[in-house]
Amino acid sequence: MSNNKYWQSLEQRDETPEFKEQAAKEFQDEMPVFDYVDDTTKVESTGRRDFLKMMGFSISAAAIASSCKIPVKKAIPYVFNLDQSSRIPELVPGIADYFATSYAEGGDFSSILVKTRENRPIKIEGNTAAPFVKGGTTARAQASVLSLYDVARLTQPKKKGESITWEQADSEIAKKLTKISAEGGKIVIISNTNYSLATQKALATFKAKYPTTQVVTYDPVSLYAIRKANQITLGESIIPTYLFDKAKVIAGFNCDFLGGFVNATENAKRYSANRVPTKENPNMSRHYHFQSYVSITSASADYKHSIKPSQEKAVLMALYNKIAASTGASSLANVTISDLQESVNKLAAELLANRGESIVISGTNNVDIQLLTNAINAMLGNYGSTIDTAAALNLKQGNDEALKALSDDTSVKAVLLLNSNPVYDSVFADKIKNIITKAELSVSFADRLDESAELVQYITPDNHYLESWDVLEPKKGYISFVQPTINQLFDTRQAFVSLSEFAGATTTAYDLIKSAGEGFTTGFIASLGNTSWESALQTGFINNVSESASGSANLSATVSAINTKLPTSNGIEVIFYESVALADGKEANNPFLQEMPDPITRTSWDNFIALPYTFAINNGIKAMSQDSTVKTAKITLANKEVVLPVIISYGQAQDTVAIALGYGRSQGVGPAAFGSGQNVYPFLTYDNGTVSYSAGSAAYETLKGTHKMGMSQRYHTLQEDNNLYNRPRRFRNNIVKEANLEQFRKDDTAGNEDRAKIKDHLTTLYKGYDSPGHHWSMAVDLNSCIGCAACVISCNIENNVPVIGREEMSNTRSMHWLRIDRYYSGDPDNPDVAFQPLMCQHCDNAPCENVCPVNATNHSSEGLNQMAYNRCIGTKYCANNCPFKVRKFNWYDYQGNDSFGGWNDPTDASYMYDNLTRMVLNPDVTVRSRGVIEKCSFCVQRIQASKLTAKTEGRPLKDGDVKTACQTACPTNSISFGDRNDKNSEIHRIFFDNGRNYHLYEEQHFMTNVGYQVKIRNTDEEPEFTFVGAKEDKA
Amino acid sequence: MSNCRNGFKIFLLLIAFATILPFKAQAYNLSVTFDDLSDADIAARVEEGKKLFKANCAACHKVDGKLTGPAMADVWTHWDSQAKLIKWVQNSQELVKSGDPYAVKIFNEYNKQVMSAFTQLSDDQVISIIEYYVQAEQKGLGKAKEAVAAGGGAESSGPSSGPNKWILFTVIGALALIAISLFAITSKLDGLVHQGADGEPVKQESLFSKFQTKKLVSILIIVGVVFLGYNIVKGAIDLGRSQGYQPEQPIKFSHALHAGQNKIDCQYCHTGADKSRHSVIPSMAVCMNCHKYVQEGPKYGETEIAKIYEYSGWDPVSSSFKNAPKPIEWVKIHNLPDHVYFNHSQHVKVGGIECQTCHGNVQEMEVVQQFAPLSMGWCINCHRQTDVQFANNDYYSIFERYHDEIKKGERANVTVADIGGTECAKCHY
Repeated sequence: MSNNKYWQSLEQRDETPEFKEQAAKEFQDEMPVFDYVDDTTKVESTGRRDFLKMMGFSISAAAIASSCKIPVKKAIPYVFNLDQSSRIPELVPGIADYFATSYAEGGDFSSILVKTRENRPIKIEGNTAAPFVKGGTTARAQASVLSLYDVARLTQPKKKGESITWEQADSEIAKKLTKISAEGGKIVIISNTNYSLATQKALATFKAKYPTTQVVTYDPVSLYAIRKANQITLGESIIPTYLFDKAKVIAGFNCDFLGGFVNATENAKRYSANRVPTKENPNMSRHYHFQSYVSITSASADYKHSIKPSQEKAVLMALYNKIAASTGASSLANVTISDLQESVNKLAAELLANRGESIVISGTNNVDIQLLTNAINAMLGNYGSTIDTAAALNLKQGNDEALKALSDDTSVKAVLLLNSNPVYDSVFADKIKNIITKAELSVSFADRLDESAELVQYITPDNHYLESWDVLEPKKGYISFVQPTINQLFDTRQAFVSLSEFAGATTTAYDLIKSAGEGFTTGFIASLGNTSWESALQTGFINNVSESASGSANLSATVSAINTKLPTSNGIEVIFYESVALADGKEANNPFLQEMPDPITRTSWDNFIALPYTFAINNGIKAMSQDSTVKTAKITLANKEVVLPVIISYGQAQDTVAIALGYGRSQGVGPAAFGSGQNVYPFLTYDNGTVSYSAGSAAYETLKGTHKMGMSQRYHTLQEDNNLYNRPRRFRNNIVKEANLEQFRKDDTAGNEDRAKIKDHLTTLYKGYDSPGHHWSMAVDLNSCIGCAACVISCNIENNVPVIGREEMSNTRSMHWLRIDRYYSGDPDNPDVAFQPLMCQHCDNAPCENVCPVNATNHSSEGLNQMAYNRCIGTKYCANNCPFKVRKFNWYDYQGNDSFGGWNDPTDASYMYDNLTRMVLNPDVTVRSRGVIEKCSFCVQRIQASKLTAKTEGRPLKDGDVKTACQTACPTNSISFGDRNDKNSEIHRIFFDNGRNYHLYEEQHFMTNVGYQVKIRNTDEEPEFTFVGAKEDKA
Repeated sequence: MSNCRNGFKIFLLLIAFATILPFKAQAYNLSVTFDDLSDADIAARVEEGKKLFKANCAACHKVDGKLTGPAMADVWTHWDSQAKLIKWVQNSQELVKSGDPYAVKIFNEYNKQVMSAFTQLSDDQVISIIEYYVQAEQKGLGKAKEAVAAGGGAESSGPSSGPNKWILFTVIGALALIAISLFAITSKLDGLVHQGADGEPVKQESLFSKFQTKKLVSILIIVGVVFLGYNIVKGAIDLGRSQGYQPEQPIKFSHALHAGQNKIDCQYCHTGADKSRHSVIPSMAVCMNCHKYVQEGPKYGETEIAKIYEYSGWDPVSSSFKNAPKPIEWVKIHNLPDHVYFNHSQHVKVGGIECQTCHGNVQEMEVVQQFAPLSMGWCINCHRQTDVQFANNDYYSIFERYHDEIKKGERANVTVADIGGTECAKCHY
């Protein structure tokens, strides 16, 4: 029996001998030396002559390499336009410029700042001045800068695969459109949600010229039911802003509002604002979640309950009845939900106790379910307090019914695909495919040869958003600008300019967005002078959203519209969801996102069938594979089948499986997307006016086949060793510490009681390091970390961390400097989850430093554990001796940067290998080559840059001047960084005045410079495993 | 035939004479010649004229060739009197208004651009400029003098580099080896020749065998090993270093002229040095700030400046940018490895280090060469020896302990190394 409170896998929980052996190893797999050596060259047949031959070759190769002349380097100054009248402000090489622009993709929107160096965008940061979010982005927004340099992008307009000029495309398309329009033929523009005012203006121009035009908007992952239900409840077909920061009780129903859904960045910011109790204000919201699959939102919940998708309506009805009984509203038909009734009663009681300070939210695209949540929110008086209907979101405007009508329309003569790929990601893919192939004219604005663009006659490729002008209105009253940060890389053109051109209106993107201002709902552009327009552009946004929430609901209309018929449940139910990394799959060819481990299952490069624990065991799936080989299974649903690897997802509802959308792309989408996972969009069904993202009556069959999967949680395991030989048990430290809110209120060191004792007993023979100036430290709050992995991608891009590909990921060679370990505790069928971002801990007593034979890693007077790549000879002793397993070894020349690059790189590791993609590299950070160790540097380049700024300005460095890449990306502010020697700094307060702060393996006296803050759960029950040592001490 | 040809020649001469005659009639005669004054006097007046010319005229006039204004050589041939020319210089507009035909003509010819009035110049000073300096320049007297003055420094050659010495040593070593082996062979042959009838060699003391003791041989071997080892190690350390690197540049730009003689500040062109990581190679816009007007250099004349015009697309005749600019591919001299982060502003702005500390006396270099070895040892040494600008920069106020020690007199200075300037992650990340 184990005492392990937290586990990453069942083997770890049970401490099987295999697991112990595995975890103790530095590298999980044997070195695959013999894979590369065939029989004829095996050791026994290598004779003296062969040895001499090889020796001779190596020596002469080395001699040739070293006798080469030093290459002549050129210093070529910029060629500016020398004409004084049109002189652009000179750029100074080496100094970064920042541009305010906006990231908008699917349900994700952020006002961002783009860092450009020598005129190339190299990094995305959240715009800290922007309202609601104030910095922080999603992982996808971070990675989007790499999409700019995507080799799969189309470089010029195409006609049936042949390159043509823009003039030719414009004249031919316009001619055909005129003909079709004159004949009264139907022209359809199929678009994903767009809230670009410029595009809307261009569409108006287009419609005026071709009056038979119809615009159909759909979303791959639709929230049409919310708009439809709100039409009844609020009288407007809107999606409101949910003010999670004002809610004391949050009840989520299959709604991944932190990772997917809509407006996740703002949701995460607001949600976390009310999730961190302090000594002064020991309060936090309580989060209930009823889920079918494990999302990062359900992982953050205090109380979570597994339900099947078909049960959701019944649970909501039970909750409604319970609340209606107290508020006096009319009740609905009685439902029995057996074992969940108790939980619903508890939730109802708490919701009633917090009227006007709670949110009930569902992400299910079903009108009845949305009406039920609306009714409950209305009874609780949440509209106008925690749900702001005035600040309506313009994201996710897709209309499922319109798409259905289109798919049945046989009279379509021309199809234009505006920012959409319906042949891949719509529920009516086959019918739309038919329409496209039969149409007299088909045009796609896709930036690559995607599944739909393959079929059309003309492709008029759109710019990347970092090359574009635009004005967006993501939220009523909030305008965010898009401005180019680089000249166009290819001969592409913005879609709204193309639309105007087709309509015969010659214009430029800039003119169009300026004139689009006339149509602004708030009409402010007209009142702005030219300077104001430019300063608005520089700020990046204009905000007219009211601070106070408003809204009122029509309860009776809502209740009477609810269809109380319950769905029947039979067999296995399948849930199709958006993964945190890829979402709807638009950015599937972004290798950073493909390689980003899924926050819950920690897999990469493929989608998979997420199985519930008991179900998996019953079907003969081993809890965790000892290598990266996992079994595959077949899911059959309505005569369609898909074969995918199976992964156990602890907490997945019984008799359900979940599969992520967005994978299984065609070759034209690009090398990273092609061959990754399977497409499950064809399984979506259209049901009673909305698209359904779950389905029942599926058949499951485990297959004999296996699949090699990138799995990053089966290695780099931190062990809680309960049997440390010569240490008293009371010093047993925990890696994750937690307490509940009640315990925290009584004692702010709850869950962290051992720390005082550990500190008392620490003595050392070492002198320690002197930090006369700065002492850099980081603190991570486990309470507000939601596991969204934005920090991981931000770190990758800032620090030139290579992409290594599926093969190498499955070889346990992940290069991420920062990983987010996911820990479970409790019942494997519904465990609690904790996320722990883990990077180099910069120990002041670092085990890695003592073992390096060449002193390549050593300590600085500022508390940094330094890594000199060019001194490293690759013994990997440091990686072996690192208790946190955060040191990564470059097995290959992943970036192809050295002169012998490309020699023996595995083929699928070459995503970052061409000159175009390498433009994303940060010029301030060394690109590592093969054979050296690398690891988190605390973003030392940023530290040095901020110090230099302070020095040139002749002032002391202020707290907050240095922000690491992970810190700026975090939408929930869970990472703090600063100078511990500065008594006024936040990090000083956390380290010396916050009872929740603890350090990993503190009893081993590593003196880490990264602190973690105890996770506090707002549950009534104390954590299942309480601290053993503390109890013993008391006894 | 020949008569006919001679006749034709005479005819041409007559025409030429006739053409020149009217102008000749208009021109005034120079009041001075170089013959009727002492050398010292001439030199003094030429020098005065040169100074005045540089200060007042050079922005718009060249001695030969048009600039904003006409060429100065032979100006006197266009004016009918010296007084008029002096008056023109002192206030050209007055002369134009008075309706002097040549003044009006020249005014119109140069787009009615008004020449500044130089009322401060005395008649004598104008004469110094026109009749001494311009005449001297035109005759080549001035140029010759300057050439003599500049001649000494022009012949700079690259320093003898490590590899050259190494080759020399290798050759000497090889020759020595050959000499020794030849000597051994001859003595062996000698021994054979002197063999006795019974096959026993006749004992014969040779000079070589006298030295052929074990002790000497081992000393020679040790010396050889040490010598070779030293050179191999030294060569290996120098691999990839290029102190003294002096490549030829696409334009023979002279720092000695610009930074030395003309005393242009380094940062006038290298604008990034005080604010960026890079000191910045100036763009052509910076060159053209001056070279729109300065069309001729002292050493290469117009040839090198013409290259800037070629690159920048400037047309000196129409004074406008006519063609598209092309980049100049300068050869980078100071190369740091990619894994080294160096920031100019840290050293120039914060540290207050002179450019010359690392780049040498660039203001004396006709062709720039790498002055410092740019090795890590060289960097570190400087960091150990150089004091931080501790007192005047508030940033360093956080180093309270050092400030206390200075106050108490326990510490005289704070070097870069004291605040962590020799740690890896200061330059390698």
